Amino acid sequence: MDVINKLQILADAAKYDVSCSSSGSSRSNKRGGLGNAQAAGICHSWSDDGRCISLLKILMSNYCIYDCAYCVNRLSNDLPRATFTPEEIVDITINFYKRNYIEGLFLSSAVVKSPNHTMEMFKKVVMDLREKENFNGYIHIKAIPGADKDLIDSVGKYVDRMSVNIELPTDEGLKMLAPDKNHNAILNPMKNIKNEIVRNKEEKKIFKNTPKYVPAGQTTQLIVGATRDSDYKIINLAEGLYKGYDLKRVYYSAFIPVSQNPLLPRYEKPPLIRENRLYQADWLLRFYGFEAGELLDEKNENFDLLLDPKCDWALRNIHHFPMEINKVDYNLLLRVPGIGVKSALRIVSSRRFGKVTFDDLKKMGVVLKRAKYFITCDGKYFGIKSMDSNQIKKNIIGMDESIYSKQLSMFELQGGVFNEKGSGLSL
Amino acid sequence: MKKDLVYLYDGSFEGLLTCIYEVYYRRDDPKQITSKEDLTFSLVEEYVHIDTEMDKFKKVYESIESKISREFLKTVFYLYLSEDKDSGIIVLNYIRTGYKYGKDAMNYQTNPYIRAANEIYRKVSLERHRFLGLLRFKMLENGILYAIIEPDHNIISILGGHFSQRMSNEYWIIHDVKRSIAVFYNKEQWIIKSFESIGNISFQENELSYQSLWKAYYKHIAIDNRKNIRQKKSYMPTRYWKHLVEEGVQKNGFNKTNLD
Ligand code: SF4
Repeated sequence: MDVINKLQILADAAKYDVSCSSSGSSRSNKRGGLGNAQAAGICHSWSDDGRCISLLKILMSNYCIYDCAYCVNRLSNDLPRATFTPEEIVDITINFYKRNYIEGLFLSSAVVKSPNHTMEMFKKVVMDLREKENFNGYIHIKAIPGADKDLIDSVGKYVDRMSVNIELPTDEGLKMLAPDKNHNAILNPMKNIKNEIVRNKEEKKIFKNTPKYVPAGQTTQLIVGATRDSDYKIINLAEGLYKGYDLKRVYYSAFIPVSQNPLLPRYEKPPLIRENRLYQADWLLRFYGFEAGELLDEKNENFDLLLDPKCDWALRNIHHFPMEINKVDYNLLLRVPGIGVKSALRIVSSRRFGKVTFDDLKKMGVVLKRAKYFITCDGKYFGIKSMDSNQIKKNIIGMDESIYSKQLSMFELQGGVFNEKGSGLSL
Repeated sequence: MKKDLVYLYDGSFEGLLTCIYEVYYRRDDPKQITSKEDLTFSLVEEYVHIDTEMDKFKKVYESIESKISREFLKTVFYLYLSEDKDSGIIVLNYIRTGYKYGKDAMNYQTNPYIRAANEIYRKVSLERHRFLGLLRFKMLENGILYAIIEPDHNIISILGGHFSQRMSNEYWIIHDVKRSIAVFYNKEQWIIKSFESIGNISFQENELSYQSLWKAYYKHIAIDNRKNIRQKKSYMPTRYWKHLVEEGVQKNGFNKTNLD
């Protein structure tokens, strides 16, 4: 089979993996080497589904010895299969990088022969890229659960980011749909990677030349909608991963029906709105100071599909509002629907020069159509008189969806993609 | 009737800052500061030619850097690169406001002059950021990587640094065909020169096969039942597609439009 056919098969197989970020790691070019990693993250193109293409995202192979029900690559599925040689992956990566098609490589794989065999092939790829080709671009490897710790460690020395997919939020879900896996086999490598990162940081304090170990940290992916697990379970798990395992990102991927297995739910379309709500909630956990328990609880287990989680929270806690834009501190501003991180920062810095007016807010990027119900500006209120949460909810849901989804759109979720880091003047 | 005062300069950044010097020195209040090339004559305007002088330029440059901030100076440079037809007067108002509020001036989001400047800065900086990703090199027979761009703003000078770090061990050229200028990098340093055409081009033998690989990858990475062309176009406006390997109409490895 020639390389182009392999690439078609193995790109197809990799595309449901959602994480596209290449950010969070800065690596400068070594003399005579190729490439560097940019903390801000660069998109090199956008595919027809509107997603940013930053990395060459492929599977090394889609031959799998396992049979997970939710996965296209499962053993029992009849589909074209291919395996790249490590040399082929290195060649494509280097040549794509030189032409400025990509920021680096995101390599994952089905389990070929055994977890260890698969990890060994990964190791060859990353060693050749870094040592033979002097490649300093970004590398993200998806570790194979069940591979030996030493092997995972030796790959970790060469990569920027390593992840292990959790796939399903609960152990029961895994037992039913992926009988070859269990949470411990997944959480153990995650714990090891975290411990190695911590140890490496300590070592770096003592020995300056200690090579970096997974400098951009680890991430994982959860499939949403393949089991009955509630949003509450999912964001609690996410919160636990951020706090306990120091994860950099949790990605959520709406389940796309790939087989007729009777254990799987049937959808007309993948649950995309639900996926979006989870991303919004995740964002609130990481940057807005919210806790999972504030957003949902045992009684309210799932997000309102009509309302974003922040608005939902605000309406359930209407007694905190309205807030005075010229008084409340940054952390509270962040809790106002319609105010994002950037606009909150702008408000705080502008207040030093004088009162911020209602008109100013618009220019600072505040989405007034929703914010107006929750704020006062110099004592003036622009929303509806009663402060009645039901009425406000009606007004907000009635609005054009595209306007109010703007505040927490994927664009913002990509966080700072367009914030270039201060490059000096070149005159 | 008193005519509107218009300053004319040679179109260089040095020239623009020399104008700023003269505004303060002569206590003038020009209504426009324009590059000579962009001028359209009008009877109700009075024209003053300002000659570029390096020490006046330096004085303004250094005083902005020390009295306001380096970031502020960077914004002034980006305003200049924007080639916005009013950029001259926007720069003047911006600098005046800068001197008034000092180090913190850039954060004065509610001030109309600061905001106007920040908006243009954002546009230029967004375009630069986009091109860090959207620029495409092609490997020529002699081993030089060659890229063609046609940006809205004159961003070539703020792209060079990025690529000289990233591709430090390659020879490359970035050619702005709209302005007929190019950055050349020789593994040591990069320079900007005016540059019309590279002449007859031949690619390295496997250039086309890497292009095909990339196109195949591009096609196959998209998820069909999530098609969202509108979103794709909003991130990657169609005016930039012309020189993209994966989007432009290609002929012999070049986008067809360049051959016409
Ligand atoms: S082990 Fe991974 S690739 Fe193999 S069937 Fe399960 S999810 Fe798919």
